[in-house]
Amino acid sequence: MYLHLPVLMVVLLFGVSFVVSLLGKKRRNLAFQLTLLVLGIVFIISIYLLQHVGKEGPFSYHVGGWPPPWGVELYVDYLSAYVLMVLTSISFVVLIYGVEDLRHELKSDVLHWYCSLYLLLLGAMCGIALTNDLFNLYVFIEISTIAACGIISIKDDRKCIEASLKYLILSVMGSGCFLLAVAMLYMITGNLNFTYVAQELPHVLPLYPYNIVIALSLIIVSLGVKSALFPLHVWLPDAHSSAPSPSSAVLSGLVIKIYAVALVKLLFQVFPPQIFEVIPVLDIVLFLSVLAILAGSIIAMVQDDIKKMLAYSSIAQIGFVFMGIGLFEGRALAGGLLHIFNHAMMKAMLFLAAGLIIYASGIRKIRDLKGIGMRMPLTMLAFTVGAFSMVGIPGTNGFISKWHLALGALDLERPFFVAVILLSSLLNGIYYFPIVIDAFFGTQIMPQSEHKDVPALMLVPVMVLAVGIIFFGFYPAPVLSFIERAIGL
Amino acid sequence: MDTAIYNFLPVWVVIFPIFMSIVIFVSSRRSEKMRDGLSVTTAVLTFISVVAMYPSVADGGVIAYTIFDILPGLGITVRLDILSFSLALISSFVWMLVSIYAIDYMSHEHAGDRFYPIFIFVLGSCLGIFVAGDFFTLFIFFELMSLISYVLVIHEETREALRAGYKYLIMTIIGGLALFFAIILTFELAGSVSLSEGTLITVPSTMAFLAFLNFLIGFGMKAGMFPLHVWLPDAHPVAPSPASALLSGIMLKTGAYGLLRVLFTVFNIPLVKEANWDILLGVLAVITIVLGSAVALTQDDLKRRLAYSSVGQMGYIIMGMALLNEKALVGDVFHIFSHALMKSTLFLAAGAIIWKTGLRNINDLHGIGKKMPVTMGAFTIAALAMIGIPPLNGFLSKWTLALGALDAGVPFYVFILLVSSLLNGLYYLPIIIAAFFGGENEHEGEESLALEYDDATYGMIIPLAVLGLSCFVFGLMPHNFLFELSLKAASFLFQSGMP
Repeated sequence: MYLHLPVLMVVLLFGVSFVVSLLGKKRRNLAFQLTLLVLGIVFIISIYLLQHVGKEGPFSYHVGGWPPPWGVELYVDYLSAYVLMVLTSISFVVLIYGVEDLRHELKSDVLHWYCSLYLLLLGAMCGIALTNDLFNLYVFIEISTIAACGIISIKDDRKCIEASLKYLILSVMGSGCFLLAVAMLYMITGNLNFTYVAQELPHVLPLYPYNIVIALSLIIVSLGVKSALFPLHVWLPDAHSSAPSPSSAVLSGLVIKIYAVALVKLLFQVFPPQIFEVIPVLDIVLFLSVLAILAGSIIAMVQDDIKKMLAYSSIAQIGFVFMGIGLFEGRALAGGLLHIFNHAMMKAMLFLAAGLIIYASGIRKIRDLKGIGMRMPLTMLAFTVGAFSMVGIPGTNGFISKWHLALGALDLERPFFVAVILLSSLLNGIYYFPIVIDAFFGTQIMPQSEHKDVPALMLVPVMVLAVGIIFFGFYPAPVLSFIERAIGL
Repeated sequence: MDTAIYNFLPVWVVIFPIFMSIVIFVSSRRSEKMRDGLSVTTAVLTFISVVAMYPSVADGGVIAYTIFDILPGLGITVRLDILSFSLALISSFVWMLVSIYAIDYMSHEHAGDRFYPIFIFVLGSCLGIFVAGDFFTLFIFFELMSLISYVLVIHEETREALRAGYKYLIMTIIGGLALFFAIILTFELAGSVSLSEGTLITVPSTMAFLAFLNFLIGFGMKAGMFPLHVWLPDAHPVAPSPASALLSGIMLKTGAYGLLRVLFTVFNIPLVKEANWDILLGVLAVITIVLGSAVALTQDDLKRRLAYSSVGQMGYIIMGMALLNEKALVGDVFHIFSHALMKSTLFLAAGAIIWKTGLRNINDLHGIGKKMPVTMGAFTIAALAMIGIPPLNGFLSKWTLALGALDAGVPFYVFILLVSSLLNGLYYLPIIIAAFFGGENEHEGEESLALEYDDATYGMIIPLAVLGLSCFVFGLMPHNFLFELSLKAASFLFQSGMP
């Protein structure tokens, strides 16, 4: 039975996505209920897979009963089980929030489309995490790109359309690169399945070094564009800040990470280690990640729109994930992968909290947030927890990932990266803490009357994520043990 | 059964105030009396609980256990020994008195509903620093205390307070990150950050030096060590006086406590001597002492002068560490006690004056001693102790420190002590003389305003008097409990620092 679960997840998400889109605007309540139900089921499946893989080890599934190298293979290993858990849990919590928020932010006749796109996006991301096939990976990447564009542009105002067009153009260029890379690998190995390609590559490396190097570069560029690795990030701030808040949360929390996961899978499972002697890819990634961390934080400091600030902060935080990938070993990689989950929680929570503030008061400008903490104490409390986690105060999950990254960097005797991590924490403190302080101790500008009450259904997901941040700050062991097994520690 | 209770007490003194801060927050919605009563009760009960820990550490006993592990080798652990007990004792004692004082003082201030829960919460996290069993746990509580006490610093929410608070916050973050770096380096080098495993790093290396330097930055920042003291003279005076008393009297000592642990647990005495880090410490200490005292002279604002004086006094404590011998350590630990008592007395007295008259400028304080005899009496005792007049406690700590300096063969430090005492005299004595013997009429403009007042309320002067008297009681007396405690703590610490 469990064998079919991985494919069932993807099929269920895609299938219901189709059904929901047929429901029409009259039955949009049903659309939301159905979506939540499916997200719940998928979440339970992923938890089951997680504990199954934890106990019995990885397993693979041949779609349609066709064994590789002919058929498509899904492979549930420690990494993909972990990523599935992250994807489904965060997206479930975010959509609970979205039920109320989207009614407010979107026109009522597109709500069922939103549900449909959301499921499509999640299905594609699950597919990326699961698949063991290059071309299949490309297909899922395409689906997730289109769906991500959809949930940005669905807001239907000038800014969103512009942002999603920018995203679409850059992203499609990225996809083109990826397809080219897949073709080049197929050309020299004759296979698409990860395992088989990986078997072939060491043998053909002396014959076609340029092909492989170019394929690898194309892959890094394409996944770099999609996960907004500096300097390929230019689309992200507009896209993430103009989208509806649940979309921003999912985009910043999950979508940019999944491409980093894809990169990890490719670097680990497909490319032979010898390639790093031919071209110092990892050092390039490291260099870019350092730039991302510093530039993202510095640009975030000068933003006056809160969602834009959060978006730039995402650019910096994805840098941590790439730093882990670039260091490529031991605890540093574990820290980077752990940061995928941790940052997904923090950033989703911060975007939702920002969404709550916008929902309740319509304020987007940071300097207008003075005194908001008195009126929305719980929201700002959650925001404070998120800010603490961003800075890496111990007791929050942000500390744990930074701790691992820093220890890993020291293990490899590269203390320079520890300095970068610390500097970035300081910068985070400089732009997150004033918001918190002004919110609680500043004199409020806006009159009370314009303030709407926040429905409990929107507040609860934010609080759940905030509690999660603290919980995993004290009890990261289960997640971490999974990651450590995934990278073979 | 008994041991179970003793084992639980260190956790209790942290959890209880933190839990009560929530209760106080809730109760403040109901009535102010209940809120005030609860916060005093909490502080008193915490003090009693801390005292009750004494039997388990009196004979050099140590309580150490792990509550739970976050990661292998990294967890929330508890460790209570004589040094942590000493600091917890003095902290909870001063906190208790300040909490009584605060009731009347804060009745003039706004936002008491915010002040009391934070005040008690910081007590819990401060005690958490002392009973932490490893640097990670210590770091958690250190950050908690530093970040949360930001709210105390900016309590008055004036532009000045917010500016000082921002400086405080940025410095706190920088210090926290330096500590984080140092702890990571230690963990990397030693595989553990526990306080209970003996010396962690025994071989000098570049990494070890980096760790030391970052510990020095992190804890030195809190302790107001030159050149990281810049936040202190701004942040301490702007806080309400009960908070300034705690900031200067107690919270600075957490930095000193951390440095003591670093010198004697992370590293050990031969290593520090071999690597010449004691010279670095000594130089910084001398600069801190001279700078703090000299700048204090130029300050006209009473609380600002006290804050700079704190910088100078923390310099003594750092100097005592730099000497690295047992006698100096006795003086060091005892000066932590003395300074906690003296400086909180001074800040509370300054607060009483401000509360009663609104005067902050030293030149306006002429003749105030006749109007507020108890307040100024306590102020005088503490100020004389600061200068180091026998038989007060300040004399005893300076005397022991000087003996330690002679033991270590550096009479230069004795000279510095004398110079600094002279400077202390120069900036404290004029206040006292003017207060008791100055005529009021020297300041014409204020005259009419300054006429009608008497001493502060009993709720304020009783804690003040107790603190002032304690400067005397714990001075040159036949039975000086605190001095005996510091003797024990110093020998315990010294032994742990020998390989």
